[in-house]
Amino acid sequence: MAPKYKFTYFNARGRGELIRLIFAAAGVEFEDVRFNFEQWFAFKAKGTTPMGQMPVLEVDGQMMCQSLAIARYVARENGLCGKTSWEEAQADMLVCGADDLLTKLIKVRFEKDEAKKEEGKKDLATYVPNFLANYEKLCGSDGYLVGKSLTYADLAFFNVMHDILQVTSLDKYPRLARVVESVTAHTGVAAWLGKRPDTPS
Amino acid sequence: MAPQYKLTYFNLRARGELTRFIFAAAGVQYDDNRIEFSEWPALKEKTPMGQMPLLEADGKVVCQSGAIARYMARETGLGGKSSWEEAQVDMFVCGVDDLITKLCDAHFASDEAVKEERTKALGPYVSKFLDNYEKLCGPEGHLVGTSLTYADLAFFVGMHDIWQHRADALEKYPKLAKVAETVRDNEGVAAYIAERPETNI
Repeated sequence: MAPKYKFTYFNARGRGELIRLIFAAAGVEFEDVRFNFEQWFAFKAKGTTPMGQMPVLEVDGQMMCQSLAIARYVARENGLCGKTSWEEAQADMLVCGADDLLTKLIKVRFEKDEAKKEEGKKDLATYVPNFLANYEKLCGSDGYLVGKSLTYADLAFFNVMHDILQVTSLDKYPRLARVVESVTAHTGVAAWLGKRPDTPS
Repeated sequence: MAPQYKLTYFNLRARGELTRFIFAAAGVQYDDNRIEFSEWPALKEKTPMGQMPLLEADGKVVCQSGAIARYMARETGLGGKSSWEEAQVDMFVCGVDDLITKLCDAHFASDEAVKEERTKALGPYVSKFLDNYEKLCGPEGHLVGTSLTYADLAFFVGMHDIWQHRADALEKYPKLAKVAETVRDNEGVAAYIAERPETNI
């Protein structure tokens, strides 16, 4: 019988959306639990989470945390992590790089100190073009970052680009533009994008 | 024929040491290429993402310390015995990586006030880390399952700087102390530790 998945995070994209996209691309049902701060503190106080953090994934009652470990597990279970061990490493590398960028974006977004926020934005102004140049160079030519079919690396790239794509075009990055096209054209992903809650971050 | 491996990083533990431990525990030969800070700028241009560590396997290159460690763990059977175990192992390694990030952020802070603040925050962070890991740890000298995984190695690597401050840091954590013993007793690891250069992080 198919496992029962329950995914718990804030009502945000943040560090949860990659996993939701993987479920969507895999066409796998999951319970998409979204907590506000009050609900999170109550849940945390129960002491049932492994490390007092979200997101958490429950699979048939067993719980795990750490967003990328969860992403890798769900991708692996659904054939979205690469077709060979080396492809897996390549996809992994690209997902980690996207996560590094995500960490920077999150930090700037939620920075309360104006001076630090400005400094962060300045850093991003060189970091992002550098990131895109590297990824374009590493990107496959078939519309996917790695190999000839969708992997969670494509989803991770698409996910981290959410805000950036609002202000930057991928004209200078034709391979990456094709990756975005592949992701948005995917039936399962398109359906998810059409119905997911719209959140600021 | 066995693949030719080369790991390139600074002469530091930081984000390279886990992979060195994996090679050591698995008894797999590799070129432990440690470069000077002065050599890095010239090499940087030729790397996938302008970062180290780098793993070359028969001439193919991958970066991102986590992806490298996971690849080598997978190739050497140190990644966990099932997909779910792999996920648990992954979760533990991610948690250690978070700890190492905090240690590095404190160590490398250039502003004295920031350095002091970050160093002070390490105390409670480390206590919470150890409390969580003790709670989750298996009873047989392994974090996950009944044989060595790179989660055990990662934990041991993460403890290095903590032990420098307090040699008895695991006194109140018997299961974790057993994990540390298991790792120390591993033949390959013991040989590596005896020979490796001493570095301050």
